[in-house]
Amino acid sequence: MGAPIDVLKRIPLFAELDDNELERVASVFKERHFSEGETVIQQGSGAAAFFVIDSGEATVLVDGKEQRVLQPGDHFGEMALIDAGARTATVLASSELSCSGVTFWDFRPLVEENGVIGWKLLQTLIEIYRSERRQ
Amino acid sequence: MPLIEALDPALYGSKAAGLGQALKDGLPVPPGVALTGSVVDAVASRDEQVMRQVMESVRPLGGPLAVRSSAVDEDSAEASFAGQHLTLLNVRSADELASALSEIWWSANSDSAITYRQRVGLFTRPSIGVVVQLLVTPETAGVMFTQNPVTGADERVIEASWGLGEAVVAGRVIPDHYRVDRAGNVLERTAGRKSIAFRSLPEGGTVEEEVAPELVDRLCLEEGQLAELSRLADRCEEVYGRARDIEWAIADGRLYLLQCRAVTTSGP
Repeated sequence: MGAPIDVLKRIPLFAELDDNELERVASVFKERHFSEGETVIQQGSGAAAFFVIDSGEATVLVDGKEQRVLQPGDHFGEMALIDAGARTATVLASSELSCSGVTFWDFRPLVEENGVIGWKLLQTLIEIYRSERRQ
Repeated sequence: MPLIEALDPALYGSKAAGLGQALKDGLPVPPGVALTGSVVDAVASRDEQVMRQVMESVRPLGGPLAVRSSAVDEDSAEASFAGQHLTLLNVRSADELASALSEIWWSANSDSAITYRQRVGLFTRPSIGVVVQLLVTPETAGVMFTQNPVTGADERVIEASWGLGEAVVAGRVIPDHYRVDRAGNVLERTAGRKSIAFRSLPEGGTVEEEVAPELVDRLCLEEGQLAELSRLADRCEEVYGRARDIEWAIADGRLYLLQCRAVTTSGP
C-alpha cells in the first residue's frame, strides 16, 4: 500500500524527487477513510498528516468560507510534514472520502535517513519561497 | 499474543497489560489477543503477511469481536488519552478487522491526538497497541466503583443499564443506581430512566434502540447479580488494591469484567 506515484509527482514539494525517491515516499503512506460530513482537518488545529485523495470529494474552507472542492488526485496539508504547525484551512468530506495519508512522524525519519531526499526538499522549498517573494 | 501473556505495557499498552494480568489472576475477562503497536502499524500499512498472522491469531476467538485501542505510552505520560483513541464493537470479518485497526492507528495519529501530545510534552511517535476480544452481547452492563467515588464511603456503587455498557459510559441514559456494603448487603436500589440501549447488529457495528416502555424504569439487576458483582469487587480489590473503577457486563447469565482501573476521582 502507498500513495500513487503519478499523484506524488504533481505535488510541488516533491517536484525534484526521482521515481525511486518517490517510491520511498509513497511507501510510508497509509489509507484513511472519512464519512460524508466528517471534518478531515480543522483550521487552527495542530497538523499531523498530509493527504492525497484517492476517491470522493472534499471541501476546503478558510474562516468558514468555502474556497474550493477537492477531487481524486488532489492533495492538502503538505506543510504538516515539515513543522506540524497549525492548519491554515478546514477540509470537510463532502462525500465518502478515501485518502492516502502520511504523518509527520513517518515522514521525518525517511528524510533523516536519506540526505538526498532532504536536500532536494530544501531546494524545492527555497524555490517556492523565491517564487512567492517575486509575486 | 494471547491476552493472558500480554503483560508488558511497553509493548502492548496499559489496557492490554491490565486485562492480561486480570486473566492471569482468574478474573472473568472475555478471551482475547493483544497486538503490539508495531503490528497495528504494519496492518495500517496493509502489510499482507502481518495481516495474515493477525487473522490467524484471532481466528480461535470466533466472533463477533470488540477491538479496543491500548495506548503504549499513556502511563509514562501521566496523562489520560481517554477519548483520543477508539473502541470498535461488533467487528465481524477480516476486512472489518483490518479497517478497525487502521482506524485505531489513525485515531492515535489524528490532528487532535498530535496536538494533545504536544500540549502534554510528548514529542515522540505515537504507538498504539490493540486488544481484540470476543464481544460479549450483554443483557445488562455498566460500571462499578469499589469505593463510593463521591462520598468516599466504604461501599460499592453500581450503575447499570440494558444492553451494551456504552449507554452508561457515554452518559446516554440515567442508569439504575445501587449501593452495596462490603458484606454484600444492598443499601440502595434506585431505578433510572433507561430509554435507549445499544445492541450489536448482525451485519456488524452497533445500533441505538428504544427500550420497551415497561423496561425503562424497571431495575435491571437482581439480588443474585448484585451479590455476584459484589464478589467481583472483592476479587478486583484483592488483586489490584482498593478504589477500583470497573466496567462489567452480564451476557447469557454470566458476569464479565471488561476493564478495571484505579478510580481517578475521589470523595472528600
